[in-house]
Amino acid sequence: MATKALETSVRRAGVVSVISLEGEIDGFAEEALNHAYTAAAAPDVTAVLLKFDRVDYINSTGIALIVGLLAQARKSGRRLLTSGLSQHYREIFQITRLSDFMQIYPDEATALAQNA
Amino acid sequence: MSVTPPNRDAGHWAKPIRKIKVTDVPAGAVNLNVDGQAVVSPLQGFGTLWQKTYQVRLPGVTLSAAEVMRIWRENFPRLQPAGNHFFPPAAGIEPGRVIFIDTTLPVFPGLPGLIPIAAGVVVIYEDDECFTVMTPAGFPECGWNTFSVQVEEGVPVAQVQSLARAADPIYEFGLYVMGGAQKQEGTWQAVLTALAAHFGVAGQVQMHRTCLDPRLQWAEAGNVWHNAALRTILYVLATPLRRLFPPRLKSGPRQP
Repeated sequence: MATKALETSVRRAGVVSVISLEGEIDGFAEEALNHAYTAAAAPDVTAVLLKFDRVDYINSTGIALIVGLLAQARKSGRRLLTSGLSQHYREIFQITRLSDFMQIYPDEATALAQNA
Repeated sequence: MSVTPPNRDAGHWAKPIRKIKVTDVPAGAVNLNVDGQAVVSPLQGFGTLWQKTYQVRLPGVTLSAAEVMRIWRENFPRLQPAGNHFFPPAAGIEPGRVIFIDTTLPVFPGLPGLIPIAAGVVVIYEDDECFTVMTPAGFPECGWNTFSVQVEEGVPVAQVQSLARAADPIYEFGLYVMGGAQKQEGTWQAVLTALAAHFGVAGQVQMHRTCLDPRLQWAEAGNVWHNAALRTILYVLATPLRRLFPPRLKSGPRQP
């Protein structure tokens, strides 16, 4: 089956940086994810929102990359938020206990309304 | 009405685990410190958060990544160094199943392990080319290990990557003062060297450490109440009492 490398785009919404993710989050996504996070983590940003609406594959290496982002965010006092997780990915965030540390919102509008 | 197709990764992940329920204890394994515990991520632990990556290249091996992984899985217990016993489930390494571990922790860097620990890890992800295990509460570290194989420029590369931090202050002390980290790093280097030798390759293991979070999470210091090493020591010390007053069985049948 054809795979789709992760593509990211970053934009600002007040004090929140929004990273839109599209494709697969696996070991090959490391560079794209870290590059996007670096672009998103401006000094005045208090939270970074990861949008998963267009993510269709995450393996355990991909989850480890998200943990790495979460560690970076916590170290610098930022919150890491998520939106657009399907029920399947919500379960994965529960299994891996990521949901204990990341606020999960159904969509971007809700996330921004509560954090911007 | 449209139906959302299942994600391609759906069959590879374990179902959500609130508390580990052990249903299958392999021969020789001790079901201690696993059943009833919650699984814990690298974020739940106490100590410094490390990502450690160990790799060995297998030049001359013409098998696919999936074939190398299959052989690695089949020989997983046999490739462990002396004193480290892994007991995969009889049904194989599958999401949601427990791999039991029986090993020892050192008391001083460079010395053999002396402190017994019976524990286990849960397989949370598995596909043809990798699998990931996650630790239960009480395990020396909180986090997970991913075992994978990928082909780089025609050469299979086997990798172990851990993303974990010491579970509590006692384990942090044990890892970085008593030699636990050194033993752990030696273990995975020995495993990859043994794997390479299995394929007839004199493997040179490369290791990279990255500190992802140097902070100690004092809010998690209470994890010490689940400390599997302390519980195992108590279990061993209580052996005479259990012989006098037999408890309900918790271990699998002993191997001859």
